[in-house]
Amino acid sequence: MTAPLTQAAPARIAPGPPARPRRRLRKAGTVVLFLAPSFVPLAMFTLAPMVGSLWVALHDWNLISPMQWVGLDNFGDLIGDSNTWRAFGNTLYYIAGYLPLVFAGGLAAALALNTALRGRSVFRAAYFLPVVTSWVVVALVWKWLLNPSSGVVNEVLGAIGIDGPGWWTDPVWAMPSVILASAWKDVGFVMVILLAGLQSIPAEYYDAARVDGASTWKRFRHVTLPLLSPSSFFVVVISLINGFQVFDQVFVMTGGGPAGSTEVVVQQIYDLTFRYGRAGDASALSWLLFAVVLIVTAVQVRIQRRWVTYA
Amino acid sequence: MRRQLTIGVAVAASTLMLAACSQGSATRSSSGDDESDRVTVRYMEFSSNNGNEDNLASIVEAFEADNPDIEVIVETTPYDDYFTRLQTAVAGNTEADAFELNYENFVTYAESGALAELSGVDEGAYTPSLLEAFQYDGAQVGLPESFSDVVLFYNKELFAEAGLDEPSADWTWEDQLAAAEALTDTDEGVFGLYQPATFHEFYKVLAQAGGEFFTADGSAVAFDSPAGLEAARWLVEKPGTVMPTEADGAGTPDFDTELFRSGNLAMWHTGIWMFGPLADTPFEWDIVVEPGNATQASAMFTNGVVVSAGSDHPEEAQRWLEYLTSSDAMVDTRLEAGWELPPIADTDKLAPYLDQTPPANRDAVFEALEETVLPPVISSQQEMQDAVTEELGEAAAGRKDVEDALADAADRVNALLN
Amino acid sequence: MPDTETTPRRRPGRDRHLLALRIRKISLFAMLGLGAFVMLFPFAWTVITSITPGAGLSSPTLIPEEPGFDAYRTLLDTLPFWRIMANSLVIAVAATLLQLLTSAMAAYAFARLEFPGRNALFVVYLATLMVPMQVLVVPLFIQMRTFNLVDTYAALIAPSIASAFGVFLLRQAVAQVPRELDEAAIIDGAGHIRVFTMVILPLIRPALATFAVLAFMSSWNSFLWPLVIIRSPEFMTLPLGLSTLHGQFTTAWDVVMAGSVVSIIPIAVLYLAAQKYVIQGVARSGLK
Repeated sequence: MTAPLTQAAPARIAPGPPARPRRRLRKAGTVVLFLAPSFVPLAMFTLAPMVGSLWVALHDWNLISPMQWVGLDNFGDLIGDSNTWRAFGNTLYYIAGYLPLVFAGGLAAALALNTALRGRSVFRAAYFLPVVTSWVVVALVWKWLLNPSSGVVNEVLGAIGIDGPGWWTDPVWAMPSVILASAWKDVGFVMVILLAGLQSIPAEYYDAARVDGASTWKRFRHVTLPLLSPSSFFVVVISLINGFQVFDQVFVMTGGGPAGSTEVVVQQIYDLTFRYGRAGDASALSWLLFAVVLIVTAVQVRIQRRWVTYA
Repeated sequence: MRRQLTIGVAVAASTLMLAACSQGSATRSSSGDDESDRVTVRYMEFSSNNGNEDNLASIVEAFEADNPDIEVIVETTPYDDYFTRLQTAVAGNTEADAFELNYENFVTYAESGALAELSGVDEGAYTPSLLEAFQYDGAQVGLPESFSDVVLFYNKELFAEAGLDEPSADWTWEDQLAAAEALTDTDEGVFGLYQPATFHEFYKVLAQAGGEFFTADGSAVAFDSPAGLEAARWLVEKPGTVMPTEADGAGTPDFDTELFRSGNLAMWHTGIWMFGPLADTPFEWDIVVEPGNATQASAMFTNGVVVSAGSDHPEEAQRWLEYLTSSDAMVDTRLEAGWELPPIADTDKLAPYLDQTPPANRDAVFEALEETVLPPVISSQQEMQDAVTEELGEAAAGRKDVEDALADAADRVNALLN
Repeated sequence: MPDTETTPRRRPGRDRHLLALRIRKISLFAMLGLGAFVMLFPFAWTVITSITPGAGLSSPTLIPEEPGFDAYRTLLDTLPFWRIMANSLVIAVAATLLQLLTSAMAAYAFARLEFPGRNALFVVYLATLMVPMQVLVVPLFIQMRTFNLVDTYAALIAPSIASAFGVFLLRQAVAQVPRELDEAAIIDGAGHIRVFTMVILPLIRPALATFAVLAFMSSWNSFLWPLVIIRSPEFMTLPLGLSTLHGQFTTAWDVVMAGSVVSIIPIAVLYLAAQKYVIQGVARSGLK
């Protein structure tokens, strides 16, 4: 399990000054001590099943019959299947709408609730409640609010002279409906993370900026934003990883419809595994998804230096 | 130093915990076949969930009293989650000795060799057609456990108010549509009928229109026919006129039940499992055999029970299943509870069922059985059902022509057959 | 700021400034209030539905005609309620404590220790978040069977001993702690373990509290894994218990909603408790 560490270690020794071996050993020991408690369980209970699912991806398997080896056929079939591309396209569409909305909303809520406001903790609790509420309930409420004929949203739009769209019953508007509901539900999640980040910014930084005569905007731009960037980085990376795996809200709001307009990758993975008896295809699809998410995340980890300021 | 030690211990504890726990469970599972000679039979099922757990428990109790050498452990899972759990268990070879399957999923399991062949079944005890439903390749690999059918429910008061004749067994689609149009009052939120454009309605109305779902040898679909088109049209053209649309709420969980219960639905195509939930409605309602078109056809559903091919106690498991599906104790429990009907050949035993009301016309439940149609079944069952439902839904929403939707559905199902 | 105090002529300007500040505060308050209403609405509806006997979902009731707590009584009667609450609580608390410990330690390693391949290993950690549970569940189940852990508490907890999500969240928090603080401690002769426990952990309390809430919540709500790995009723968790309230043909929605309310309460309480630490965190770091 320590393979990545111990194997890589000698490579580092060569260019560096000849360090004393005992100190190096102790240092390696410290790294292992701090990492093993998380790495061992992750390797056993996540990485190992991941390898298992890669094995499944090379087979045809309905979970009940014996597995049939098919090599890379499942991958070939998926790449040639227009449903795969539609699912990836819909997932990207979801992310493109969801991420800016939820981030802006969460940041605004965190900033507003980081002030010394009366009833602050009541507001914080209120904004966090949707995160806790089950998607089944949330989906029902949103479908009701966004009902094309009798929903509150279209009635408000109608009052100001706008003819509201068909929302989740219309292939064009179904994904925006899902995005809206998702962003609304997750704003509280982004808020608590950014709040924790804001709370960690030492007050003396603001005091110093105030002494220098910095305006509110300047303090936000030059103190808050840079010092919040580690938390923002976290939110962006995690929201992307989660966004690629969007499923629950689609499952309960639209079931992938209408006309497949909200069919997303993990919905297909779920259907293939547990409903269609095609676990091999599902695993192959999830490895395609994995490749995409891994690249996107690795790029973000790479370029974080450009905008993330660590203390 | 002491602090270092504490953390070290904590780390060791968290990583070693598993080893300790696995030891604990090893002793736990080995205690399964304990000192006594009783054999434990595990039974996985869904149909007792949410209301009939006690009824199943009383059948188990009666069985154990007759068979002191067998202990039955029931594992109940809600229907929506049942197959996820069952498939995972089969994949990991930890499935129960016996489990429940609905007819639609039976073939998939039989085909994969997951089921043990039953021997020495008392064939005379069961309704022959139901017993046949659980044969595969000439072998009896399952027993019918219960059945139910679909009839037309109607609100007597709405019919009386409109001065219309109540539906009768000789009605056709045309009669039904005329009544539905007269009964619909969208301003008041009253709808004439409810019959969703889904796979489960389609294969039935296809039979009513005189069509076939598959060709005789089962190698291709046969519903891309004039009868198929007529059936699809019948389903697709009602929403928005005599039937609520998605925007009216159709598709919300239990929408149709609530609509009927609130007195705002005149006619409803649904199963006899609704007798219980509708028992206390404040208005009068009754049932009748569904209207036919070219011919009569009623949908029948059946659940079966099977013995796992991997069971260590197949004989004991079969004994339990035979008791569960044919014993008098079971018949009494089911009839008393109004649980789904038992699959027994001796229909005289079902007499008490007919005496109960509502509905008054319980005979329709058995009349419907004279001309039944079972769901068409293939190994990619769920995928076929989804494809047909999706294409019909597109047509119902007006996004596709009926002809195109039907042709696309045919292509998609044909692709699954190869 | 000091000169405004000394010059009386500036006072009208100061009043206007105060007025503008007050208006801003009130409008902020109003906007937050509107937002809170929108946010609270579904929860409020859940509560209302739970006290409306025989409630349906298609035509939402906002004011129940004859409110009653029958649904809660049914909930207590039909489920081994306290048993499944206790199961969920034990599992969620264990998972949360384990994850806090393992994640904080790894976070320290990634933020403060120099070692080769650190970024690559970090991406490996993140990679564990990138394959959906739906495909992992079967291989993991088979693995648990070989460990002889099917249908045990251990199997419920094992996959949540560590969390890459937590490692990442806490790594960002540790990275925000000014390095001068631990350097000062190291000069005083402290080792890594001491720096971690005495300097870093107290300073990342807001993040720890936040993560505790999120970790608890994810364990509390987890459904798919308990569904497949548990078969004995005595190990049943709350989401599994609540799912049995859904019938194949009809469902008593007031009871389902009552279950939903009950399952939200513990997380809400934990969240409110954790808020105290989030705010305390500020006071402490402000003093330094």
